[in-house]
Amino acid sequence: MESPRNLRYTNTHEWVKGTKELKVGITEFAQEQLGELTFVELPAVGDSFAAQEEVGVVESVKAASDFYAPVSGTISAVNEELQDRPELINSDPYGEGWIFKITPDDEAELDQLMNADEYEEILPQDD
Amino acid sequence: MAVGPSTRSWAITFADPVPYLEGVRIQEAIHAARLADAIPDTVLLLEHRPVITLGRRGRDQFLLSSRAALTERGVDLFTSSRGGDVTYHGPGQWVLYPILKLGGSEASSRGYLHHLEEVAIRTAGSFGVTAYRREGMNGAWTDAGKLSAIGFHIKRWVTLHGLSFNVRSGLDGFRHIVGCGLVGEKVVSLEEVVPGDPKPGMGEVGMALLNAFSGVMGRCLDVYPWQAGDLPEVLAQIRRPQSS
Repeated sequence: MESPRNLRYTNTHEWVKGTKELKVGITEFAQEQLGELTFVELPAVGDSFAAQEEVGVVESVKAASDFYAPVSGTISAVNEELQDRPELINSDPYGEGWIFKITPDDEAELDQLMNADEYEEILPQDD
Repeated sequence: MAVGPSTRSWAITFADPVPYLEGVRIQEAIHAARLADAIPDTVLLLEHRPVITLGRRGRDQFLLSSRAALTERGVDLFTSSRGGDVTYHGPGQWVLYPILKLGGSEASSRGYLHHLEEVAIRTAGSFGVTAYRREGMNGAWTDAGKLSAIGFHIKRWVTLHGLSFNVRSGLDGFRHIVGCGLVGEKVVSLEEVVPGDPKPGMGEVGMALLNAFSGVMGRCLDVYPWQAGDLPEVLAQIRRPQSS
């Protein structure tokens, strides 16, 4: 599967877009592992998280999976639309299925993230 | 003892039914050790003491008995971190808890859920029972009802919880719930659907589950009884009752 080239990635399968205010979602691979999502537990705007700290949970019929802050920072927006339509993460993980926005404490932390090529390296090779 | 091909993983078997919260404690400790790469992927095979658990959003409208009535019958009630709705665990039912780092073949395109279902289907098949998936209804089903339930949690892309597989008939606890919130669906045990006699025993079915797991996930399992004297040190430490 092709990962968008303009995004950065975490090893817990989040994608990250931007530099000043980061838009974050879970990748195509992640949504596929979970199946059709039925519930998203979103953080609150204004909450602060350390890098890799648990921010919320996505849940499908049988699976619950945590998602994490890609960098340290403060939540500046959440995708309220997901409350009613969690399946947007399945249908459009890199677009309408974005989950939250976070303002980084230190933009230098972005250097820790992977580019699309590096991210694809950690994905299983399908036969 | 080793079972199966390629990647080495550990299996831990429990001789006595495990209280639910003790099972959670052991899983979380093994999860932490797996995250730290202190141990390989590990699968637990156990029976629980009678317990009803709710999925993490805990929809208790599928609970048919009051909490007081359950307590009176010696059935515990907990909310679990797994996905899925209400279910029952108790003696006569195997529970398989794989603690796996997802990313290898077990997470390929059809996903981990599909693989767990396959473990249950192959286990049933090894006793001449046809089990199958049902669209939109996870788990493994027979014509007579649901044989295996699935609910798991992925934490930092290492799995917790897993599947239950009903072996003996008379799993009484299911009377108190609408299993997985499925109104009008029946729960069955292997004993009720397996053709002929004698019926397979718990030990035999447990081994079949580990074999199926090994085949489906492509693992070679080193099997350790939890009470064994030669348990690897990491596990022996987890086994020790906490002193602090």
